[in-house]
Amino acid sequence: MSELVFGSKMMQLLIALILVSTFMILGSTRLYSCVRAFGIQSFLLAGVAGIVAYSTGKSDIYIVAILTLVIKAAVIPYIFIYIIREIKVKREIALYVNISPSLIIGGVLVVISYYLVRSINIRTELSSFALSASISLVSIGLFIMISRKKAIMQMLGILLMENGLFLGAISLTYGMPLLVELGIFFDVLIGVLIMGILIFRINRTFESIDTDMLKTLIG
Amino acid sequence: MLTQFAIVIFQVIIILALAPLLSGIIKKVKAFLQMRKGPGIFQPYYDIAKLLRKDSVVSENVSWIFHAAPIISFVAVLTAGLIIPVYISNMPFSFAGDLIAVVYLFALARFFIALASLDAGSSFGGMGGSREMFISSLVEPAMMLSIFAIALNVGTTNLSVISGAVSSMGLDAISPYHLLAFVALFIIAIAETGRIPVDNPATHLELTMIHEAMILEYSGKQLAIVELGAMMKQLLVFSLLANIFFPWGIASELSAAGIALSLIVFIIKIVVIGVVIAMVETSTAKWRLFRLPNLLSISLMLSFLALISFIIVKGG
Repeated sequence: MSELVFGSKMMQLLIALILVSTFMILGSTRLYSCVRAFGIQSFLLAGVAGIVAYSTGKSDIYIVAILTLVIKAAVIPYIFIYIIREIKVKREIALYVNISPSLIIGGVLVVISYYLVRSINIRTELSSFALSASISLVSIGLFIMISRKKAIMQMLGILLMENGLFLGAISLTYGMPLLVELGIFFDVLIGVLIMGILIFRINRTFESIDTDMLKTLIG
Repeated sequence: MLTQFAIVIFQVIIILALAPLLSGIIKKVKAFLQMRKGPGIFQPYYDIAKLLRKDSVVSENVSWIFHAAPIISFVAVLTAGLIIPVYISNMPFSFAGDLIAVVYLFALARFFIALASLDAGSSFGGMGGSREMFISSLVEPAMMLSIFAIALNVGTTNLSVISGAVSSMGLDAISPYHLLAFVALFIIAIAETGRIPVDNPATHLELTMIHEAMILEYSGKQLAIVELGAMMKQLLVFSLLANIFFPWGIASELSAAGIALSLIVFIIKIVVIGVVIAMVETSTAKWRLFRLPNLLSISLMLSFLALISFIIVKGG
């Protein structure tokens, strides 16, 4: 019993840190620091999966945790850094909404997701915290996609949403079947590769990865 | 009654005695990290002793505010030091004020220094004063909110009670809101003590300076008082961090052994915080002034998140 209490405590702390890393992505103006914050977030997510695996004793969740660690915390940030380096993009992110208002909107989104979760009437405090964190991650990811101009940030936003869904899935239902999980990881990895290639193409055609430029006609 | 007096006097002595040492240690660690030798850790004591022996050079145009400001701000910070638990969790003066009083005592100190910076009419002083006020308007709400998250958990804003209660909770006290509020207050501590992403304490002639620009007109004894006040404030902000968020080991009752142990633990804690601050200072560059609202709104948002997650976890 005490191990379970300890596990849920650790999980609460990790989820709080995941929220902190989300706000790090929201609050930074550099592409590299956004990618670094995403890497930290995925690392923490792997920690959550590890704790779930340890407390339920299911070995397939360990595999999920390791896959998260390898793919999301190492490979995907590496791909990001590769893209940023190769297309020699300006390192500052361009914004539609400034940093301080974005942070406030992020806070509002967290409140909204908390109210959403409260109306569902969930049993334990851990799962309500995890679910509201998961919903706020999804909505903040969506917000990042619509408020940042660079195509790389849109890619990061969708990965943030994916992280949010993963957090909700792993902490509420203790993970989906391994086959489904593997499929999702494969999808994410291929998605990142395709989006990376797309960004290269956008960069070559428009000489910028600013999505504002996509509106202009190219004859 | 007499023991209460003894506690208060001992606390004042500790704050006055340790404040320069903390500055010295941070400077030494920074020097070590930058591969320099650096001055010894007792250098701030020598500096203050030397300044106290010197006469002040005062502009002809200043009013009484210029002379009063160092003393008022020094006393305001020291008064805050009577409310913040340092080595014992039930301070005799805790009835006199809570965390809101502490925030506003710091604000009072800052206000008078800013006023004095305008008084001499130098352009640097005015710049420093306006910047300091700009930053403090962002720091104050975040500082209050972050401690409120912990205050909500304990059910009081009295710092002594908070410290004692969190200490008796042991490791159970560690929770999401605790962590979020700690990160928020840590950012605030950097801003409040004028450390590098916000202000550079090592510079004396730079257009970006804030605190140094404000006290540029001071010299001699007055400068010593201002400097000692700033060091005391740094120590107090660190002990706020240490004794609100991880007060384990603080003495709650009066016994020689308990107080000795709690004092040693306290020194270790503030030295650790000082080393972390020195590392942050070495590894980051100073931020442009207009980027600072971003940093401080991250802190404000984190303390806000701390409050929310308190409500979520405790099921409001």
